[in-house]
Amino acid sequence: MGLVTDELRAWIGRAVSYTAPEELGRAAIRYFAIALHDDNPLYRDEAFARTTRHGGTIAPPTLVTETCQLVDRPPDENGYFGHSWDLPLPSRRFIRGENHYEFVQPVRPADVVTTTWTIVDIYERETRHGSMLFVVSEARYTNQRGELLAVNREVNIHQP
Amino acid sequence: MSPRAVPCRVFEEVQTGDELPPRRRDITLTDLVMYAAATWDFHRYHYDEAFARAHGHRAPFVDGQMIGALLAGDLMDWGGAEAFVRRLTYRTRATVYPGDGVVSRGVVTGKTAENGRALVLCTLSMAKMDGTEIMRDATAALELPTRDDVVGAHRTGEPR
Repeated sequence: MGLVTDELRAWIGRAVSYTAPEELGRAAIRYFAIALHDDNPLYRDEAFARTTRHGGTIAPPTLVTETCQLVDRPPDENGYFGHSWDLPLPSRRFIRGENHYEFVQPVRPADVVTTTWTIVDIYERETRHGSMLFVVSEARYTNQRGELLAVNREVNIHQP
Repeated sequence: MSPRAVPCRVFEEVQTGDELPPRRRDITLTDLVMYAAATWDFHRYHYDEAFARAHGHRAPFVDGQMIGALLAGDLMDWGGAEAFVRRLTYRTRATVYPGDGVVSRGVVTGKTAENGRALVLCTLSMAKMDGTEIMRDATAALELPTRDDVVGAHRTGEPR
């Protein structure tokens, strides 16, 4: 009980932003599609994509929610350099609980993506593995014109 | 990879109860590495067996967002060239490891108009071959063109 300390509670509402150093690019889009064995021509065939109401190449929907590529810093000792919260917990380990994606508009190769992460809530709940800490974060993704691209609300479960 | 034909599913042709074709995938360590590389996520969790075991996993494990990416791909394939995923939400129940075979399924639960968009509502699932549920409460809203909306010359034929 009492896992949500005042120190932890102070993190609710904190936000951090990352802006990609460059455009997303057609190569990154095709690379992502290849990794998923996804041969949908919307992601790689500009001539085809132009004939659709998308009007050109788009990124697979969830690509924008993978934000490591926005973060321009060296990897840590485990190879990771993406976003993480430096919460005052014994371990950074967590498991994914939930993802809620809203895709406001397709992401384009020329988009320069900014993501802003905010901690929305931290609460404690009993699970089959005992008391766990649930950290709810929201990421909002915008492009270089400030247009909202997508919102990703995720719940991560930390062992206290 | 040469582009494949992607016809277009239109909103009027979809009915509640329609099913997305079940799709089986065999997840390999190569898939994990490709997804890690395509998302610039070089955390050792996703390819270093000794590291993963030392941290309580039986093997390197699939990034939970890759499951979301696969489901989004299923929806985009089913919807065709003018579809766009508007919402996707899921709760993670089980971790996927290399060697796991997984099957994704989907069924249309309703149709609605929202802000002038024609949305098909679906429930989705993904399970391992032994029946282990990988995600729970997975739902999506897929925007489809209406007959009058279809832009492209690809309006005939059945999407795969």
